[in-house]
Amino acid sequence: MSTVSTVTPGSVSELSARELRRAAWSRWGYRLSVVAGWVVFVGVWYLVARLVLTPQQLPQPHVVAVEAWDVLRLREFGGNFQASILRVAAGFLLALLLSVGLGLLIAYSRWWRRLLGRVLQFVVSIPTVSFAVLSLIVLGISPMGPILNTMIVATPYITTNLAQGLTGVDRRLIVMSESFGRTRAQIIVGVLIPSSLLSILGGARLAFAVAWRVALLTEIFASADGIGLQIRRSFESYDIQGMLAWALLFIVIMLLIENLVLRQVERRLSRWRTPATGVAP
Amino acid sequence: MATVLIEDLTKVYPPTINNPKQVQALGGLSMSITGNVFVAVVGPSGSGKTTLLNIVAGVELPTSGSVRALQEGVPARVGYVFQEPRLLPWRTVVDNMLYVQDRKSDRSRREAEFYLQMVGLGDVADLYPSQLSGGMQQRVGIARAFLVNPDVLLLDEPFSHLDALTGRSLRDYLQRIWLQSRKTALFVTHDVTEAVELADRIVMLRPGGVTYDDISIDLPRPRRHGDPAVRDIQDEVLRRFDAMGAAVRFGAEGV
Ligand SMILES: Nc1ncnc2c1ncn2[C@@H]1O[C@H](COP(=O)(O)OP(=O)(O)OP(=O)(O)O)[C@@H](O)[C@H]1O
Ligand SMILES: [Mg+2]
Repeated sequence: MSTVSTVTPGSVSELSARELRRAAWSRWGYRLSVVAGWVVFVGVWYLVARLVLTPQQLPQPHVVAVEAWDVLRLREFGGNFQASILRVAAGFLLALLLSVGLGLLIAYSRWWRRLLGRVLQFVVSIPTVSFAVLSLIVLGISPMGPILNTMIVATPYITTNLAQGLTGVDRRLIVMSESFGRTRAQIIVGVLIPSSLLSILGGARLAFAVAWRVALLTEIFASADGIGLQIRRSFESYDIQGMLAWALLFIVIMLLIENLVLRQVERRLSRWRTPATGVAP
Repeated sequence: MATVLIEDLTKVYPPTINNPKQVQALGGLSMSITGNVFVAVVGPSGSGKTTLLNIVAGVELPTSGSVRALQEGVPARVGYVFQEPRLLPWRTVVDNMLYVQDRKSDRSRREAEFYLQMVGLGDVADLYPSQLSGGMQQRVGIARAFLVNPDVLLLDEPFSHLDALTGRSLRDYLQRIWLQSRKTALFVTHDVTEAVELADRIVMLRPGGVTYDDISIDLPRPRRHGDPAVRDIQDEVLRRFDAMGAAVRFGAEGV
């Protein structure tokens, strides 16, 4: 028997493996809760549709699903969807541009921080329906309504997170960059942007969630095309089934974008944060 | 050959929100360093050591006085090792190295890998800093400073955040690399033992950033821990610091 003990370079990688397992569990828990939420939602819908309301008031889920399939195939879903999503995208882009300016002001000037902080807080506290109604009054039926409203509701979220990201930048990394002769442009690209990127993305995801809901509402009230218009038309012709089908399709697609695409991008970009298993000794 | 000329250097920080009084970090510091020597700057906390290095590195401006770091008459290139690793956490180790290089080519990557190997980190080039231990991260910081082929090397207590054993082994790494390249080095430390083991000269600062004393060490390298000659000098430095403590306590200015 040998008395020589071998040292295994294990402790670090075991720890992170455990952390990874825990992270995986919580991811699965999250997914499970999402599925459970949908099951409950559809279940309640069935119950209410069968026991409380008439089919004219609330058609059953599977009827709406069949109708949605029809909408998808036969009733120019693509064109309407494109009109709506382009407006969300345009409003979102404008919000992003505006937020870069406002975020810089908030991050680097105390005076602006105090002023804008209050304004943004106020904007966030306004119920989204009022934006829809307001744009009908001010702009009438116009494609600008959804775009502007998207911009207005998305801006506070992106701005706040951007400013937070910028103020959270480690000053010492900037000093390090300067001492190694990095230029201002190199520091912006190499330090400022990457270090606030995750925070910005988090804000963007929140903003997107609010933005498409507002855009849809505004379209329902005041638009000459897009999904919102189709919903209004169905409603006006007492076609509850069609109305629900249009709404459901749009909502499902947007939720998918929000939760799969945006979350995936975030996860990809935050890879450097998770300690991987294969730590060298 | 590099020279660092510091003349009557004063740095006063204006009042901040947390500290309503202005702070004098350096008060009329003068010294000159010529050639490929390893100079240790030793002084108690708050004696302006980091401030001094930052001014030499050009990331802070003096309030008055002048600092010139020159290599053959032109501004010297500086390599800075900080108290903490200061790596970009979103970049891999090798990309952290490339960040401080001006040209990005296959050759610069090979150079980066060469210096990583020199600090014993050849096989972690593609890991992220969060996947390394603190000592490994600090070694990346050392490799990064050598990578820019500096004329003047600045080191700000690079081992003070590490445990004693790791600090000791990194000190050996540093000593080995330095003996190969012999850059002009300005090494800040709290640790008198460390200073005596590494330096050709020890500059002692006292609070407020005034030189108190300056000792040359002429012992062969590598120096052994516990060597009587090394220990004698350690004792001497500590004795002078004690005397300074007394001088400061009794307000004997200009000793
Ligand atoms: N950016 C700053 N603004 C205001 N005061 C500062 C700033 N940087 C340093 N000081 C002050 O200047 C003095 C010297 O600081 P410095 O960091 O140079 O000391 P140090 O010798 O490096 O100390 P330590 O050994 O603790 O690292 C301290 O009193 C410190 O509070
Ligand atoms: Mg310091």
